[in-house]
Amino acid sequence: MEFAIDYILIPLVKIALLLAVLPLAVAALTLFERKIIAYMQVRLGPMRVGPWGLLQPIADPIKLLLKEDIIPAGADRWIFVLAPVISVISAFIVFAVIPFGPEINIFGKAIPLWITDLNIGALYVLSISSVGVLGIILAGWASNSKYPLLGALRSAAQMVSYEVAMGFSIIGVLMLAGSLSLVNIVKAQQSSGVWYVFYQPVAFLLFFICGVAETNRAPFDLPEAESELVAGFHTEYSGFRFSLFFLAEYANMITVSAMAVTLFLGGWLRPFPNVPWLGFLDIIPPLFWFIFKIIVFMYFYFWFRASWPRYRYDQLMKLGWQRLLPLAMANVIVTAILVVLLRG
Amino acid sequence: MKVKRPELSLLKKIFLVDLIKGLLLTFSYQRPSKNYTEQYPKVRPKVSERYRGAPRLNNDPETGETLCIACNLCALACPEHCIEVGWERDAASKKVLTDYTFDISRCMFCGLCEDACPTPCLELTQDFELSLYGRKDMKWDRQKLEEGNQPVVYTK
Repeated sequence: MEFAIDYILIPLVKIALLLAVLPLAVAALTLFERKIIAYMQVRLGPMRVGPWGLLQPIADPIKLLLKEDIIPAGADRWIFVLAPVISVISAFIVFAVIPFGPEINIFGKAIPLWITDLNIGALYVLSISSVGVLGIILAGWASNSKYPLLGALRSAAQMVSYEVAMGFSIIGVLMLAGSLSLVNIVKAQQSSGVWYVFYQPVAFLLFFICGVAETNRAPFDLPEAESELVAGFHTEYSGFRFSLFFLAEYANMITVSAMAVTLFLGGWLRPFPNVPWLGFLDIIPPLFWFIFKIIVFMYFYFWFRASWPRYRYDQLMKLGWQRLLPLAMANVIVTAILVVLLRG
Repeated sequence: MKVKRPELSLLKKIFLVDLIKGLLLTFSYQRPSKNYTEQYPKVRPKVSERYRGAPRLNNDPETGETLCIACNLCALACPEHCIEVGWERDAASKKVLTDYTFDISRCMFCGLCEDACPTPCLELTQDFELSLYGRKDMKWDRQKLEEGNQPVVYTK
């Protein structure tokens, strides 16, 4: 009985909760994005659905789900159907290892706010996010159309090249924490009392830049560059299947933000966990800090989109291979030397 | 033509000064007071002071009689000949306005009629909502002109 509750019931409840909350969060984020970008462009954004456009995130999915679902005649049916599913699954299962908060007590039972604590959590997240590329490539190929194929090719090249720099940029953190488990990385930051962003500022910037490129967001949104490729890899998708890609994209943005928060900004820890007189901040639950930090990152995503023009393709490759990758490697070497010298 | 690329100093390149400038600009635009959108059907827009819109024949506010003296100058001034003034002579052989037609489908809102009018009668108002269901509705008679254009009020 105890076994069934611990290993079946509680994880199932957590998974169900996550699967319910994540699409809602994505829906809310779309309104957040449209409002922020609108205000940055001196407009108002959605104002007509509900007061201040607050019901827009409900109207949008309803519209998408009621739309006709078209599969082009020339498309490879099976792969066309499979591609968005791969995308969305790989975007969702990453959340299995992300620690949303510390252990909490419910009815005298300690329940951790993560689904599972993999001892190779960071590696798992990186590898699953590369599986997401597969969905995009398949979508581009199965559509049997020019623009999706071009979008998919760009996406493949971009994600592969930025994945490398991303992987290197987190090595510094892993060396400091001495663990690949995301929970242990947060706990290491708690015991050292300092967020790793202060030890690894360069790695943090690199990670976030690569994260933006990984999720195909502006200014690296070449795979779906509206002005060149219509909608890139999901040009031929409509209705429900399009909404799956949309969901996957936003879920990936949350993942990258959550990873950046966990690795560099102390996960669920309050700001400056080592300063005692800030102790009054402990009243606010850790889950709030985690979500708040993610929202700040999302804000940056939208801020970038409203501010910067898209990179040209060769500039994108040059930036990835010639700037970010050497910088990330240099960061790894410097960190390694410092860790050895300081720990003796 | 070859456009010379702007030279960026090394420090500017390393610290991405131009990108951050762009970010700060968009950030400052978020102030609601900077917002430019008008909620048009809900809120009446501000029309420029010298805007020339729907024509109106003004009545004397005290007596309620028309200010038009049927001099026909507006019709003569109109480059499009879209004004027709109808009059008759009264007992004192003075011109009295009987009917007045203004074809707003041909009007280009140049305002020459307004300038020609010797009394403050003919006026091109600030009203701009002139869409109608048929072409025949665009010939405005004296009654319509004296009432002025009454735009449909948006309620919701």
